[in-house]
Amino acid sequence: MKVLIIEDEEELADSICTYLASEKFICEKAPDYQTAMEKIALNEYACILLDITLPDGNGIDILKELKRQEKIDGVLIISAKNSLDDKVYGLKSGADDYLTKPFHLPELGARVDAIIRRKSFDGKNVLRFDELVVDLNEKTVTFQMQLLDLTRKEYELLLYFIGNKNKVITKNAILNHLWGDNMDMMYNYDAIYTHIKNLRKKMVQAGAPDYFKTVYGLGYKFIIP
Amino acid sequence: MKLFQRYNRVNLLITIVIFLLASFTFHYFIVHVLVKQIDDDLEIEQREIQTYVKKYNRLPEPIPVRDQVITHTPIPAPIKEQTFTSTTLFDSLSNGNGIFRQMVFSINVNGQWYKILVAKSEEDTDDLIEEILLIVLTTVIFMLLASFIINRIVLKRLWNPFYNMLESFNQFRLGKKQELNFKPTDIDEFELLRKTMQQTINKAESEYHILKEFTENASHEMQTPLAIIRSKLDLLIQDEALSETQSKMVQSAYSAIEKLNRLNQSLLLLTKIENSQFEKVSVINLKQKVEEKLAEFLELWDNQQVLVTAELKEITILMNNELADVLLNNLLSNATRHNYTGGRIAIFLDADHLRIVNSGNRHSLDEEKIFQRFYKSVQSSESNGLGLSIIKQICDVSGFTAIYGYEPGIHTFIIRW
Repeated sequence: MKVLIIEDEEELADSICTYLASEKFICEKAPDYQTAMEKIALNEYACILLDITLPDGNGIDILKELKRQEKIDGVLIISAKNSLDDKVYGLKSGADDYLTKPFHLPELGARVDAIIRRKSFDGKNVLRFDELVVDLNEKTVTFQMQLLDLTRKEYELLLYFIGNKNKVITKNAILNHLWGDNMDMMYNYDAIYTHIKNLRKKMVQAGAPDYFKTVYGLGYKFIIP
Repeated sequence: MKLFQRYNRVNLLITIVIFLLASFTFHYFIVHVLVKQIDDDLEIEQREIQTYVKKYNRLPEPIPVRDQVITHTPIPAPIKEQTFTSTTLFDSLSNGNGIFRQMVFSINVNGQWYKILVAKSEEDTDDLIEEILLIVLTTVIFMLLASFIINRIVLKRLWNPFYNMLESFNQFRLGKKQELNFKPTDIDEFELLRKTMQQTINKAESEYHILKEFTENASHEMQTPLAIIRSKLDLLIQDEALSETQSKMVQSAYSAIEKLNRLNQSLLLLTKIENSQFEKVSVINLKQKVEEKLAEFLELWDNQQVLVTAELKEITILMNNELADVLLNNLLSNATRHNYTGGRIAIFLDADHLRIVNSGNRHSLDEEKIFQRFYKSVQSSESNGLGLSIIKQICDVSGFTAIYGYEPGIHTFIIRW
């Protein structure tokens, strides 16, 4: 699956590319409006990461052009503009999601994953990891046909980890994902420990192996052991 | 004391003193002039007698004239000088004693010396002086009264531009982008004041905008490097070969980035509020909003075993929706952050205020400083010291007041609208 990163900041584009490429994605970079338009005209992308402030144009115009050409590419806006109006404007212009800088790469990964899921499997939204099956419509998780009784946060957490499988996810990134704007008061990570502990326990009780691997003081990695 | 009141007092006092002095001098001169007049009359009388004696060689018959007494008594030798004196004499006409001006001189008639006394009543003079004084006094009183009234009215009108300027200056808030409606006046001093004030304000305003713009630009420019650093760290930790020491360093770097990011977001938010980017207001069901927030925070409170109670009335207010979110978020996270495990939080929503009470530190926050930027009750605290100033700023733009109160171990924040 191909992903186009329209971002003038080369270092950031590189990071995103490296992160996404380690998964199943082929990344292409477009540092400006002109290059981006050319690439869009020539290729089909599963997802386009779009910075709306570009040196030679406005990202929203690219978005409008995509809609005009009726391309089905999913678009995720990445912007330094974080006001509600900017977000609303971006989403109304046809973007699928809006992420403000600075973001965590796993957060970006999860969002890209979600966009592609929505775009590619419309209807039968089922996600598999090892023998875990997540029904995205029903919002249920089963392990070997056994239903896990998860809370909303635990479900979100599991999706986040599956979307970033085999990657180290920091506690900060988890905080950011689960609580968003409210995270600035979560100075202790107790809530995360509790959530991970419960999620682990529920999966182990259903007979699953311990998919969570603790990485020193940094965070966790979701892998098939 | 008001300027014109003080001016009036001084003015009145000096006027009275001047009038008193003037009246005394006036009185003195009038008396002097009138007495001189009588003395002249007496001298004419003397000359008349002398001419009569020279012509007829005998003394004239004294004719009784009103207010005038002439007597002659034979004396052995002439009196050296003629003298003018005031004395009390019997006035045959008015049948009573009166003040007289008299003149005594001697004259020789056929070898016999006579002492002649000529006197004129001062009664008329006194009457005249009295009348003059009365007129002067009435004039003085009327003039004082008139000056007082004129001062009051005229000064008030004259100072009007000054008070107008003061009024609009008082309502002026830096950064509100409002025009100062100082009306031009035709009084040079006020016009100078107006121009100076206008210039000062314009300068302050432009510098304020430059500063705000700087903050906003700086915050915006910081986003990209922050995003790069964070993404590089995210990549770095994917490296399997990280040692424990390296992991710790990466973790510290993460925390620092996190702090910087929060600080940046807060500064941006403050600047945006100041730049009136949240002017759109809508009717907000506050009860519903608080309940939504409570649901969001519930998990957090469960974790810290904080007991939360809420008494919420059905209230709608008019404010910016986004700011309402931030306000509630900040208030609730504030009450959570400065709490302890097993503490309490109570939320009351009433017709005109929202009150959030929480258990916490056994010392009061500095009421003077809490709403200032970067104020921290504990220096090492994890907060960036902007949360409360954001609350204050939101209250300011929404026309609310934020009040902090402290009782031992209990902190209260009240938002009144």
